[in-house]
Formats: sequence, structure tokens, C-alpha cells
Amino acid sequence: MLSQTHKIVQALLFSAKEPLTSEQVELSIEEKVDLDQIIVDINDYYRQEGFPVWIQKVANGYRLMTREEYEPWIRRLYQNEGNVRLSKSALESLAIIAYKQPITRSEIDAIRGVSSYLKSLLEKNLIEIKGRQEGPGRPLLYGTTDHFLEYFGLGSLRDLPKLKEINEIMDVKIEEDDVEESDRDTTE
Amino acid sequence: MSYNVKLDVFEGPLDLLLFFIKRDEINIYDIPISYITREYLDYLDVMKSMNLHLAGEFILMAALLMRIKVQMLLPREEAEDNEVVEDPRTELVEMLVEYQKYKEASFALRELEERQQKYYPIRCQSENTVWDPALFLADVNLVDLGIAFKNLLDSMPKPKYYEIQTLKLNISQQAQVLRSMFANKKRIKFSTVAATLSNRIEVVVTFLALLEMVKSEELRVSQKTVFGEIYLTKLQLKESHVIADA
Repeated sequence: MLSQTHKIVQALLFSAKEPLTSEQVELSIEEKVDLDQIIVDINDYYRQEGFPVWIQKVANGYRLMTREEYEPWIRRLYQNEGNVRLSKSALESLAIIAYKQPITRSEIDAIRGVSSYLKSLLEKNLIEIKGRQEGPGRPLLYGTTDHFLEYFGLGSLRDLPKLKEINEIMDVKIEEDDVEESDRDTTE
Repeated sequence: MSYNVKLDVFEGPLDLLLFFIKRDEINIYDIPISYITREYLDYLDVMKSMNLHLAGEFILMAALLMRIKVQMLLPREEAEDNEVVEDPRTELVEMLVEYQKYKEASFALRELEERQQKYYPIRCQSENTVWDPALFLADVNLVDLGIAFKNLLDSMPKPKYYEIQTLKLNISQQAQVLRSMFANKKRIKFSTVAATLSNRIEVVVTFLALLEMVKSEELRVSQKTVFGEIYLTKLQLKESHVIADA
């Protein structure tokens, strides 16, 4: 059974236009609440009762979402609006910005080895201008937005996947023999 | 050598080099530079033969590869005092490693994107617009005010003949009129003010008085939508904020 507070939080989630934060909940309920625990309880309840929705943590708040298994029906409902995915190059630029923000365009280009097109990311509100870098030309600094977190379903930037090291990706084996050999060279 | 690769899949020269490195299982820290340079240049030839526009970055990388190749061929000077001579490939390797890291991260983001697109947010589109103007009204800028003013002028009855009148109004007088309208209210609509005005010159002078009052922080103007109703809100007067006579 859910408490009155749990029910109020659900009502707030139903009426929210953007991810609901604990500050907003406390402002509304006028007392301190452990929102994280309340969300866990509600999610458990939804799962037990087989509700088609769940609550996701995105952009430092909580949002009601439909469950994955109902996607086919919803997609048919909006059949003219297929999911548009970001282009490969946009995603590359975005990855660099997400992990290295705030960052200038020339720093992004230096990593990618090509010039990047940031306008569409700005238009999609996935990145924004965070300021200017001190120094020659005072170039613009870019960073990700709250919408970026919502788009990728991230609670915060700390939830970004860990960057893999090259060894994990390329399966590079450093020849141990070589190392030993060079060690010997220097000691002798 | 024949290439069965799609030409548009490479994001740039680094991406292309990584493709060769993966395809041929090359150790990224020990790249056979003359082999990879040959592969790279062959690929550029294919692109050229297909009349594809070669981005400058591809040419630049070709130059870098050839420079490294030359440096590798030249006999290396033995460094004095046991200093390690830098491998000419180091710069390239660092670029490739760094790029690969973020390319991989972009795949991770793609997975997140695909996962997230399976969930649909339940978003409330509230229909009853409950709003406290003091909190939610967007500040009006000069252009909005000007447009509202023009709309107002356009809605005034057009005179058929003109009569030159002596101007009996002035700005401070109209400011007083405005102040009196606020007698027991904190906020009034601009249209309410306008309704009391009978001709163009009165509108002009009242509008100027209004601008003066905004400037002296006696009033604040706000508006909910573009071209919408303008609300005038009386601000707490700090002492001596009185409009100078015009």
C-alpha cells in the first residue's frame, strides 16, 4: 500500500511538464521527503501491479515513462513520426563535448581530425554555449544541456558511460618480451 | 587491391586509419607506416577516381603520413645522455588513441539513444493556464511595446480632416493620469489605459509618459505572449523616483 505522500508524488508526476525534482516536491508538500526512496516504492508497486509505466531518473529529476514493451503500439500510434536518430558525426562531436566540457570548437575538431558542424546540436538543444575561453580570440565554449540528459536518459553527467581505454577497445597486447629486453639493455 | 567499403562511412582521416588498423589487426603502438601510408593513398585515389570531393583534412593526413615515413627512413641520431629519441609516429598514435576513445563513447551514446527512444515520456500539457503574472510574465522589450503601440495607433479612428490643435498635454501630466489610474490597483492593462484616450496625440503622450515611468522604475511592463496584452505593474517607489517635467 502506498502512503498519502506516495500518492501526492504520483499526482505531481502526472501533472509535471518536465522532470520533477525533490526541491519541487518539498515545495509542494511543505516537508522534507526522501524522494529517491518514494520513487523506488512507486516503481516497485507499478512493477508488481503490471502498470505500463515506470519512473525514470533524468536530468536531476524524475519523469513518468511508458514501459519498453509498449513501444510497438505507441510507435504505430505516431506512425508518421519515426524516431530520428543523430548522425554519426553529430554523435561523435556530442560525445567529445559531453566528456570534455566546456570545450571549444577547435579542440573538438582537433580530436576528430575534421571540422565539426555544431549548429544542428545547438538547434536540437543538446548543447549550449557556456561562455568564452580566456585567451586569443576568446572562442566560444560548448557544453551539454539538461535536454541532453533527457535525450539519453541520464540522471546526471556522472551517469555517462565510462570512457574505455584503448587497450579494452583494440585488444592491444604489449609484447612482454620487448619490455624485458629493453629493461635489460638499460641495466647492463 | 579492391575496396569493398562504403565511401561515406568514414568520418575523417583518423576514422579511415583506424579502419585499416582494425581490419589488418595492426598494433596501434607499432604501426607499419609505409604499409598504412600506401593503403591510405590508394584509398584517396579511389575516392578521386570516383570524383568524390576530398576534404582538405584527408590531404593533410596524407602529408603527415609521408612526413612520418620519411622520418622513419632517415637514420636516427643517437641521442646523447641516454635521452629517448621520440618515435616519429608518437603524435599520430596519440591522435588515433584519443579519437578512438571518443568514437567508442559515441557508440555508447548511440546505445543510450536507442534505449531511451523505446520509452515515451508522459508529459502534461496543462490546459488551464494558472499563472501569477508577477512570477511568470515575460518581460516585454522595447520592440514588443512599439508593436503594441503601433497596433493601437492603427486601431484609432482615422480622421477625415485635420485640424491643428494647440497641444494641451504634456508627459508629466499624463504620468499623473497614469498614477491616478493605479489609485487602488497594483496592476492595470495597457488596453484599459488606452480606452480612456480619445486621440492620437493623447496616445503618443501617454505612451511617452509610460516609457518615462518604466525608465524611472516606477512601473514594470510585462506581457504573456508576443503582441499580447501588456500589463503595467506599479513598483514600490524608492524615494525621489519622480519623473522630471518634460
